[in-house]
Amino acid sequence: MGRYVIRRLLQFIPTVLGTMFLLHYITSLAIQFSGNPVRALFGDRTPPPALLEAITERLGYGDPCLDQRGNPCFGLFLDRLQNIFFHFDFGINLRQRDVTDLVADALPFTLKLLVIAIVFEAVVGIAAGVLAGLRGGSFTDYLVKISTVFVISVPIFVLGVVVREFVGVKFGNVLRGQEWIPDVISVGVFAPVFKQEYPLASLIIPGMVLGAVSLATTARLTRTSIMENIRADYVRTARAKGLTNKRVIGVHTLRNSLIPVITFLGVDIGAAMAGAVVTETIFNVPGIGRLVTFSARTGESSVVVGVVTMLVLVVLLANLLVDILYAVLDPRIRYE
Amino acid sequence: MRGKFLKVAVVATATAMLATACGGGSNDDESAGKTGGTLKVYNAEPAFLTPSGGDDEPSLYVIRQLYRGLVKYNAQTSAVENDLAESVESTDQKLWTIKLKSGYTFDNGEPVNADSFIRSWNFAAYSPNAQNNGYFMKRIAGIKDVQSQDPDGDGPQKAPEPKAKELAGLKKVDDLTFTVELEAPFSGFPTTIGYPGFFPMAQACVDDIAKCNETPIGNGPYKIDGSWQHNVAINLVRSDSWKGDAGKPDRIEYRIFADVDAGYAAFQGGELDVMYTLPPARYKEAKATYGDRMFELAGDSFTYVGFPLYMDEFKDKKIRQAISLVIDRQSIIDAVFDGRFAPASGFVAPSFEGARPDVCKYCQKDVEKAKQLLAEAGGWPAGKKLTLWANAGAGHDQWLQAVGDQIKAALGIDYELKVNLQFAEYLETADKKKFTGLFRLGWGPDYPFMETFLYPLYGTGAGSNNSGYSNAEFDALMKEGDSAASMQAALPSYQKAEDILGEELPVIPMWWRKEAAIYSENVDQFVWNAVADADYGATSLKQN
Repeated sequence: MGRYVIRRLLQFIPTVLGTMFLLHYITSLAIQFSGNPVRALFGDRTPPPALLEAITERLGYGDPCLDQRGNPCFGLFLDRLQNIFFHFDFGINLRQRDVTDLVADALPFTLKLLVIAIVFEAVVGIAAGVLAGLRGGSFTDYLVKISTVFVISVPIFVLGVVVREFVGVKFGNVLRGQEWIPDVISVGVFAPVFKQEYPLASLIIPGMVLGAVSLATTARLTRTSIMENIRADYVRTARAKGLTNKRVIGVHTLRNSLIPVITFLGVDIGAAMAGAVVTETIFNVPGIGRLVTFSARTGESSVVVGVVTMLVLVVLLANLLVDILYAVLDPRIRYE
Repeated sequence: MRGKFLKVAVVATATAMLATACGGGSNDDESAGKTGGTLKVYNAEPAFLTPSGGDDEPSLYVIRQLYRGLVKYNAQTSAVENDLAESVESTDQKLWTIKLKSGYTFDNGEPVNADSFIRSWNFAAYSPNAQNNGYFMKRIAGIKDVQSQDPDGDGPQKAPEPKAKELAGLKKVDDLTFTVELEAPFSGFPTTIGYPGFFPMAQACVDDIAKCNETPIGNGPYKIDGSWQHNVAINLVRSDSWKGDAGKPDRIEYRIFADVDAGYAAFQGGELDVMYTLPPARYKEAKATYGDRMFELAGDSFTYVGFPLYMDEFKDKKIRQAISLVIDRQSIIDAVFDGRFAPASGFVAPSFEGARPDVCKYCQKDVEKAKQLLAEAGGWPAGKKLTLWANAGAGHDQWLQAVGDQIKAALGIDYELKVNLQFAEYLETADKKKFTGLFRLGWGPDYPFMETFLYPLYGTGAGSNNSGYSNAEFDALMKEGDSAASMQAALPSYQKAEDILGEELPVIPMWWRKEAAIYSENVDQFVWNAVADADYGATSLKQN
């Protein structure tokens, strides 16, 4: 097990370096083809060349290779790696703030959002899947099937905006007009957008929106998996032994049915980070997703490279964790 | 999010209407506005909270409450009034003597004296400090010596140390007096120093500028509560050290939004008291819903379509006049923008002192006259397409296409759109004068003086003169106005200069943006400053 983990960790190195180079190349190309982002800061006012140059230099866009279209800027890449790995310096954004500070500010919000989303999709998704799977063809089964199709077919940005406008604004305004409803519900949970006074309550609805799409997939995966396992030999054996229904379903069937679901949830952390880019912008959550959106829009290459590298690490670690969890769930799987 | 300096408008007084809405009608004749309460306002994430760094709209909204400068602008008339200055005087418009009022301090106890201004301006101007507002120090003598340029353009050598650390034109006379020498006479100098780039900075602030950016040391009516919560909020509370007119709310909370739609949803949900940027798609809805609580006024943000005068096709002014004559501005504004702009018929914002209507004689649609002018000029080269340029992703395609269609319908000139350049590259193309056809650009004034709409855009070799326009008579008139004995005396010269533009049309004036803000039922009196936009410190809340 230990050796397996070390081998996996070593595999991270080429993956991370490769991603970083790709990002570096893409952002450099963006600057080479769409111009110096520092010039755009001044807008219609043409800055004196000396000032433009000083600020360009300060912000790290002064390398001459950024003027040569197609140049992969290896020198700049090496500098960047050196700064990141030896000095833990991810560079600064266009407002001269350290990328590490930006991430440190934004991370807590995104983590909270992700936890809410994953818990929501795991708990509700698995429960719905089990209910539907145990009674195939019943009313609950159809209800789960139809409602999940509905959720899957709505893109997250549509869902987000619809929820913000109808749940947060319209329904929320009705609640806010009722005296007897406590503030934490009417002003916090049903706030149209993230609210600093209710840092957790106002994240619940955005988290549920973020988890909604994967919730449908989780429910359907669990349902199929349960239906398959419930007819398996070992379940029949367990029943024949006279075990209680609770134990047959809860321990024998469910535990084995959860393997594909756990894989999905692990991979889904990456997808949820991507979804966070959309939900955080819609619900004004000051997290990583909103940060990436904003930096990509303004062309802040150091932020994009730094943040996405960190995201890649998160996804890699999540996948490793999932692989290790397999061994816990399924005694047949062993890592040498 | 372009740096906006000022806009002209008037105070919105909706007290009476709001009182009726409440059904009480008790607070009649309360024109002064009440103090107290917490005002929650929409804001985007500022770039910097230091006077030397912040040059964008979200930064300025906060800096103007944290800091105060030598002069302020009258909310209605935009006239310059002394704030911290006792007097700003000059006999030759070149050497200005500034006397300060005594007794003002920064939040950390440092006095606001001549040094604090000299320090701030020097800090902004010195190019290795990389401060965005270094741009605004360009008129002060010695600016070239504090800014240095890379000898070989773009690396490998680094730019050398500038020759001097301080502006030669700034001299301290005594604690409360200093003189400013300009590179060239400029009668409008007093109007420029109300811009936050000219506000003072404490020594402690310059010593640790990064910390001062997070926890500003201001000298204004409000001070920061805690520090800047990036991307979340900036909270200001009343400052005890402020000696001037106190602000109305006890507390101003700037809620930071990355997206106007999210901000609008928060306003609808009752979480904001003022929202000054409306999502274009929601404009009509907002007007219908919040009609009596919507503040709207034609502003001074200018959109024009420039001619590349360095190209032979556009050298004849009759061609330029003909093209301008076939554009029906109002119909484009109504069709594309839901009426969010006001058509332009001159080059200076209508609200500015000295602005006159119909300076441009070729800005009303007149196809017959246009055809005649085009024929006189020898027609458009057969088969040549007219290229229309705009930057990508900013929603300019649609109206530019409407302009192209109108030109094609009236004059039979075929056109093509070139709208694929990102803003940064688009601006670099403008700086290098590489446009090959008509190009869209905008302009916002730097100070409330009509010169700001003229010289920077049309003066020979001026920074933002992207048409490459050059007219000796225009330059001479501008110079005459700059050295006039007073701001009033300067206006006739500037007006004559504007008349030249109205005839020669180096650019086609298109329209002025209308400023729109909505405010909640909690707001008693919403104040819009003629120059500085929404004035949150002067906006009062209803008190229960």
